Amino acid sequence: MDFLELEGITKEFPSRSGPPARVMERVSFSVREGEFMAVLGPSGCGKSTLLQMAAGLLPPSSGEARIGGRRVDGPPPEAVYVFQQYTRSLLPWRNVRDNVAFAVEHRIGRRRARAAAEVQLAQVGLAGFGDHFPWQLSGGMQQRVAIARALAAEPALLLMDEPFSAVDALTRLDLQALILDIWTQRKLTVMLVTHDVEEAIYLADRIAMLTRRPTTLAEIVEVGLPRPRDPIATRELPRFLELRHDLLGKLLTRHAV
Amino acid sequence: MLSRSVLSWLPGLLVLGLILLGLELAVETGWVRRALMPPPTAIALTLWDLLASGEFVAPLLSTMELVFTGFAIGSALGIAGGLAMGWFPAVFRLLEPLVELMRPIPKAALVPPLMLFLGIGTTMKVTSVALAVLFPVLVNTLQGVRGTDRVMLDAARTHGWGTAHTLRHLVLPAALPFILAGMRISLGLALVLAVLAEMLSGQGGLGFLILDMQRSFLIRQMYAWLIILAVLGLALNGLFLLAERRALHWQPQSN
Ligand SMILES: Nc1ncnc2c1ncn2[C@@H]1O[C@H](COP(=O)(O)OP(=O)(O)OP(=O)(O)O)[C@@H](O)[C@H]1O
Ligand SMILES: [Mg+2]
Repeated sequence: MDFLELEGITKEFPSRSGPPARVMERVSFSVREGEFMAVLGPSGCGKSTLLQMAAGLLPPSSGEARIGGRRVDGPPPEAVYVFQQYTRSLLPWRNVRDNVAFAVEHRIGRRRARAAAEVQLAQVGLAGFGDHFPWQLSGGMQQRVAIARALAAEPALLLMDEPFSAVDALTRLDLQALILDIWTQRKLTVMLVTHDVEEAIYLADRIAMLTRRPTTLAEIVEVGLPRPRDPIATRELPRFLELRHDLLGKLLTRHAV
Repeated sequence: MLSRSVLSWLPGLLVLGLILLGLELAVETGWVRRALMPPPTAIALTLWDLLASGEFVAPLLSTMELVFTGFAIGSALGIAGGLAMGWFPAVFRLLEPLVELMRPIPKAALVPPLMLFLGIGTTMKVTSVALAVLFPVLVNTLQGVRGTDRVMLDAARTHGWGTAHTLRHLVLPAALPFILAGMRISLGLALVLAVLAEMLSGQGGLGFLILDMQRSFLIRQMYAWLIILAVLGLALNGLFLLAERRALHWQPQSN
């Protein structure tokens, strides 16, 4: 069953001089319940913009997004957005525990939210770091805090915007494994934006490929790799290499056009 | 660490001591007229009398109360106004012309008209102080609210935060460094306006006493009260810096 549906999404931004700039042109695709969907496209094609429209953080100029069959107009309770810029999405004046409590404190109160935060911190491997401030942690750890915060909201749909692009290669492997674990355990639906071909193939069930601006949907690729995936073995499977060859080629030619 | 900071104070204290010594000599040799400037030692003795007799307590408390009340009211209004103007565009459009008109007026000039409306009592004095405090706090709060990181605001939205919770727990703390900077400017203004209002109203507090002593040719007393006022200013500033450091304790130390 489709859980997140994007239908005919077009986005224009007003420009200072002349007509509005059309960034995205009638993008339609759906993410099934429990599916891991990656969105892949060249830099600046509007991946973040698309994800924000799915999250109800930005209205489309025309077309609509639906979550669980209901039209999105404003942030829906089922979905949580994990931001590309974790350094800016965490509150620097709050310690790690209170940054995670952020997700639910307005619903269940500070005290219970803090208790819930401890549970999530343990899940992302940050047990005992509750009293630290974000600036006392490494980039990878800060992104774990952001993930713990999103999980604390117990979302059905996780919308992740290049969550691993700002960390080193080894940390990225760690975080990818973490996300796959959580996705399996909690039976989440995930839409993850990335410009990293290998990351998309390694994580996703399907990949939505976007073109350059004005952005349209180029195609949807079935990954078809077995699960559970292994950070080393999966990347050596013929299917993985074939997909990588294919998708990289497409991205590069599109980039050159 | 501590001894070094004491050492770094030493030259400044030395200059101060030399100036006092110079004054003392200038008065003793008759170079400066005693009627205008009593020797520092004489002022010190008068000051000591004021302190020992407890005579200083009531006027000091009176001025402190005025500064605190006016500062608190002005800050509260400034923060509330800045939040509202920074967050709700309609409020901004409504109040911006008024603020821009009122802001450049030296608030000291408003004391005489305020006396017409409010008399010479506490209400007038507190209003004068609060008005002086209001604008720097408001303008800084507004700037802080506007500067709140968009990503942070979106994080609050995606987690379903309502307006009130967002203002209280995100926008306000994000703007706090700006708000505190505005309040620090306002604290100095509060003291100025308190003293001035006391002088013009002709009753109560350190400001009134300084003027009254001068008019009664009690010059030593005048200087003694002036010193008490200076110490009050110093103490208020120190207190504020302490409070500010506590409020911003989460900031990484730059050294
Ligand atoms: N508020 C805005 N006003 C005008 N143009 C915008 C606005 N936000 C985004 N854009 C434009 O829309 C396009 C898509 O931006 P977006 O950030 O979604 O791209 P992206 O694919 O996420 O890029 P990246 O890979 O660098 O993260 C960009 O060309 C950008 O200049
Ligand atoms: Mg982006």
